[in-house]
Amino acid sequence: MLTDNPFLVMALIAALFSSVTSGIVGSYVVVKRIVFIAGSISHSVLGGMGVVLFLKSSCGWSWLHPLYGALVAAIASSLLMGWIHFKAQEREDTVIAALWAAGMAIGVIFVSLTPGYTVELTHFLFGNILWVSTSDLWLLAFLGIGVLLVSVIFHRRFTTLCFDEEQVSLQGFSRKRLYLLLLCLTALSLVLLIQIVGALLVIALLAIPPAIAGMLSHRFHHLIILAVLLSALFSLLGIFAAYQLNWPPGATIAALSSLVYLASFSLRNKQRRIREEKND
Amino acid sequence: MLMTTLETLKPLQQPLLQNSIAIRDLSFQDRSLVILEAVNLTLSKGEFVVLFGPNGGGKTTLLKLLMGFLKPARGTLSLFGKSPVQMRKMMGYVPQKGPFDPLFPLTTLDVVLQGALSRTTRWGRLPPLWKEKGRALLHQMGLSHLEKRPFGRLSGGQAQRALIARALLGEPSLLLLDEPTAHVDPGAEKEILDLLIRLKRKCTILLVSHQLTSLLSHADQLLLVNRTATPFQPHEICQHFELGLYPNKKNYAHR
Repeated sequence: MLTDNPFLVMALIAALFSSVTSGIVGSYVVVKRIVFIAGSISHSVLGGMGVVLFLKSSCGWSWLHPLYGALVAAIASSLLMGWIHFKAQEREDTVIAALWAAGMAIGVIFVSLTPGYTVELTHFLFGNILWVSTSDLWLLAFLGIGVLLVSVIFHRRFTTLCFDEEQVSLQGFSRKRLYLLLLCLTALSLVLLIQIVGALLVIALLAIPPAIAGMLSHRFHHLIILAVLLSALFSLLGIFAAYQLNWPPGATIAALSSLVYLASFSLRNKQRRIREEKND
Repeated sequence: MLMTTLETLKPLQQPLLQNSIAIRDLSFQDRSLVILEAVNLTLSKGEFVVLFGPNGGGKTTLLKLLMGFLKPARGTLSLFGKSPVQMRKMMGYVPQKGPFDPLFPLTTLDVVLQGALSRTTRWGRLPPLWKEKGRALLHQMGLSHLEKRPFGRLSGGQAQRALIARALLGEPSLLLLDEPTAHVDPGAEKEILDLLIRLKRKCTILLVSHQLTSLLSHADQLLLVNRTATPFQPHEICQHFELGLYPNKKNYAHR
């Protein structure tokens, strides 16, 4: 029985918790068209992890967990992205790409200065859900509930922000604060998901389920529910497949969701062509 | 029976006697490019004003200054005696349809209800009364049957009417419209202009439009915006340029 394996049970529970977070936050990220920003935040996380691994090794701070570094780097880069969005008189996509590269470069430099930590970094780069401990599960559950609560309270404001930023200001809310809150929520979710699929593949789990859900529904709250369900389905199927085939779980989940997305995309295009031909 | 929002917008008491917009020596520049300078303007409560002028003349910039989205380089701007930011909740704004994502998963009613975002409770719930008001406005706009249709699938005219409904839902004192008839067919254009004429005296209206012919008999003032703002009475436009002719900026340079 698969459930006899305690590591696998923990992995499945972690996947379910993180699906709630990724489905909700990913939906805002996809409709706001800031997937590229989320990608940049997820890669800047590596810089934070690299610095923490270096400090652990050189200063002997064994209490430091790489996730703390990831969290600080993610929040810092999301605030920076927000500042760029509102203040910088610069091409936003170029600055995002520069931050993306800078985060990875800092990570690689500090890890190269830290002997013996490459294995730990590999787990965070590519994910290893079978590593999830009981305390990680509590952290995932706690943050997942937090994200759910904030999203329920701010759903109408976030939706309006994603659709028409000016309308948010006209209704008396600060669009800057709301946008920064959304980016910080995205950063938190990315750090959670990194444990499952890793920093390099996390963007797949954040963006693909809402993108498929968007093909199936035109109501935003339906889209979010579908995205959560799809995210859970991909994570569970990916973990089972990885267990059976002895493949890395993170990569298996990302590959599965990407394949389903491409299949849905071509199916929808085919349906549209048939409809257009009928109309002609 | 439920009172619709258009009906609940009562004609203003003593309209045209009190000032709604007072602009003194206003200038705005983007980096080194001067977009507006020395704008002086006083509009009365309940006035229907049409803004016109060449592209790049500063019409949209003036609307954004009025909403407090841009800060003037010089001069003062007050709305009903308050700053634009303080007055935001009392404004309705209808942007051009262009910038919206056609794939965005919102229905027509969802978009209209964004006009009551400030009425949500602390926990983010919108009281049912506002949903009813939103539906009533959609009915007034002739869009009841499209309530559940994705906003991105509406035609240009339908989308603009939905955006006007969104702007009216908060029962605004000042309604700003940025070329609401820019991308619509003549039938839809007439419907939108008729709707705005029905709103006359119920709130102060600033409409950016190039359709002067249809609006001359209804507008209280016409405002040529071309680096500065020059007000005209409708009959002046008729006398000087004949009905429907676009005013020549050169003729107004030293007015």
